[in-house]
Amino acid sequence: MDWQSSIEYITNGKHLAWYASVRFTLIAAVLGALFAVFFGLIGAGLKQSKWSGLRLIGTVYTNMLRGIPDVLFFLFLPLAFEQTVEYFLAQASCTSAELADGSTWPPCADAQWYLTTTEYLLMACVTFGIVYGAFAANVIHGAMQAVPKGQLEAAMAYGFSPKQIFWNIKVRQMWVYALPGLSNVWMLLVKATSLLSLLQIPDIVLWAERLGAANYVAFKGLIHDDWRWKYYLVLFVFYIILAYVSERFFNWLQSRAGRGMIEVR
Amino acid sequence: MRKLLTTMAVAAVVASSMSAQAGNTLRIGTEGAYAPWNYLDDDGKLAGYEIDLGNAICEKISYKCEFVQNEWDSIIPNLIAGNYDAIMAGMSVTDERKETINFTAEYFPPDPSRFAAAKDMEFDFANLKGKKIGVQGATIQADYVNETFGADNDVLSYENPDQSIADLIGGNVDILMADASFLEPVVNALGSISFVGEPVAIGGGVAAGLRQKDTELLKAIDDAIVVLKADGTVDKLIKQYFDKGPFFAQ
Amino acid sequence: MDWLLNSSFVQDIPVLAKPALFNLYFALAAIPISFPFALVLALGKNSPNWLLSNFSRGYIYAFRGSPLFVQFFMFYSIALSLNQAYLKPMGIDHIVLHPLFLGPFVLTLNSAAYAAEIFYGALKNVPRGEIEAAKAVGMSGRQTFKAVTWPNMIRLAWPSYTNEVIFLFHATALVYFTLPVINEQKDLMNKAGELFEKDYALFTHYSVAALYFLIISLVLFYISNLINRRLNRHRVQKVSKLKVRPNYVR
Repeated sequence: MDWQSSIEYITNGKHLAWYASVRFTLIAAVLGALFAVFFGLIGAGLKQSKWSGLRLIGTVYTNMLRGIPDVLFFLFLPLAFEQTVEYFLAQASCTSAELADGSTWPPCADAQWYLTTTEYLLMACVTFGIVYGAFAANVIHGAMQAVPKGQLEAAMAYGFSPKQIFWNIKVRQMWVYALPGLSNVWMLLVKATSLLSLLQIPDIVLWAERLGAANYVAFKGLIHDDWRWKYYLVLFVFYIILAYVSERFFNWLQSRAGRGMIEVR
Repeated sequence: MRKLLTTMAVAAVVASSMSAQAGNTLRIGTEGAYAPWNYLDDDGKLAGYEIDLGNAICEKISYKCEFVQNEWDSIIPNLIAGNYDAIMAGMSVTDERKETINFTAEYFPPDPSRFAAAKDMEFDFANLKGKKIGVQGATIQADYVNETFGADNDVLSYENPDQSIADLIGGNVDILMADASFLEPVVNALGSISFVGEPVAIGGGVAAGLRQKDTELLKAIDDAIVVLKADGTVDKLIKQYFDKGPFFAQ
Repeated sequence: MDWLLNSSFVQDIPVLAKPALFNLYFALAAIPISFPFALVLALGKNSPNWLLSNFSRGYIYAFRGSPLFVQFFMFYSIALSLNQAYLKPMGIDHIVLHPLFLGPFVLTLNSAAYAAEIFYGALKNVPRGEIEAAKAVGMSGRQTFKAVTWPNMIRLAWPSYTNEVIFLFHATALVYFTLPVINEQKDLMNKAGELFEKDYALFTHYSVAALYFLIISLVLFYISNLINRRLNRHRVQKVSKLKVRPNYVR
């Protein structure tokens, strides 16, 4: 291939679709991270709860990933989520006879939740949030413990309620302690986005396989044989660059957040 | 939590009622990696025999066609789960599949399965031993190869057709078994591969798969296929994509 | 009692026992090579030699920075592209391309990078005083390493290394998403998925698979704890048991 046809080749529709599919990876990472912080705050809150029942839930939640692989959750949670939504749809829109029948799922056509890439992506983000929220909960819990006691006592002395202390002191102050841990969770999350294709999302990994596979359209004959390793090599490098950029960003954030605080490393 | 779930359910109701309003859309699940049946062209768009035929069917029954790409091994579960309404993915009619889904009238006659191997290789299919045989998982060929050769040979199951072809070219399997219609362009395009052994008739013809409860839709698509067969559309498309036929001309 | 024994949950337990062994095999086959390799990388990163240090640094960064899923695909397709020219003529293609080899191989490359970072961290935290004391009594560099640096490093790294082994075990779940399945050689994820596609009993199959992962993780943890106790047996102060709470950081 000369350079002109090479450029033509790497800018054909298929390749453009590949470049565009990076959006799924980035959206899943960013939205997933936001959900993870959300679930992480809930998890950390549960762990510090006054009630032992809630504490137990918090402990189980934050520990579940120690024994069970994240991939299993990625396959399980979206399916469970879909069935849950359809359960509520069925309660709302199916007749009681249809509900009692139970031979098909969902019980009636109205309870059918159609899933397109958008829904799958949303479910993937929530799933990432739940799974990495368990990681984030530990980080946040640890960071809250690291908030100097003096600050909490000072707040108490000023007559803050326990709720106010939690939200206004603990949650506000813990970020700087949580940052290193959260950056780690982010790194894990970015790598986990490579699994989006398992959730029926045409992400960069799936496109790499499609593009790399031997291309032998009937009318044109063989265009290229198995080139997948080249495409996977590109992905390998892409993810390393993403990790590097993330690392630089978190270092910058850390140096900003740590201003005026001596203790924080 | 309950409130959250209810909110989500309401959001979903709104979403689904919106899609119902769009109305008369036939969602067709396909693999998009099985040339010339269904594949992605260089523009990244779905193309192939079943894409054209699906659009012709939709036109006949006045539906809007929407193709959904889905991995092969979850293509039936996701039909049943309702992510699309029909499967058009070069799927042969088999008794086992009939237990879970319904099939429309056939739009391609029974397609023999064939073996492909590196050029100049000879195999004694009556006493095949110690070979690596590739198939795509969850296909009629997978069942056949496991039953016939499974005891004395290694059967490698692949997630998608591309991987199986790659491993045949790369020499990781000695023999690959697949639909003749799928293998022919491969053998023609790649000088290093040729057919070996005799064709084997395994499954029935190829048809669209539907959920068992969608009987009205089945009837409508059936009627459309009958009309398209009679007016020569099906034969014309088969000629275009497979250079075969005519099969259904009257 | 009968309802319990007849429940699909209990019936899944024997069905998934053999697949669980595959996951265990992948992890156990990877550890004996990834462990020494990680040590070499850690010492390399710590080495004053520019080339050695930067190679180790780069290796660790690359394999920790990219997803294992992509690494699996990449190494499989690289091996395949080398097959016809190199592996076949050498007669090692049957071994190299076999998932039971390639699976642990990629896991080794990946896990070694993570473990190396752990060992490197431990190396940096070996008490300076002890090394100086060793030098003061006239020990050679080799003697110092053997008597002081090495035992301290292993002791310090062990809790985190245990964590890494558990992660490695969990990572085995990805093997058959990327490599072909040969005959009935299936792992937990594979088999659970297959069972799910037959009867759509989501909770049953995946929770039994999860249970297997959980139990094996705990067993690995227990064994590691015994080793930890041995590593710390010389210490005067009471050594706290490894808690079932390894770091999340991988």
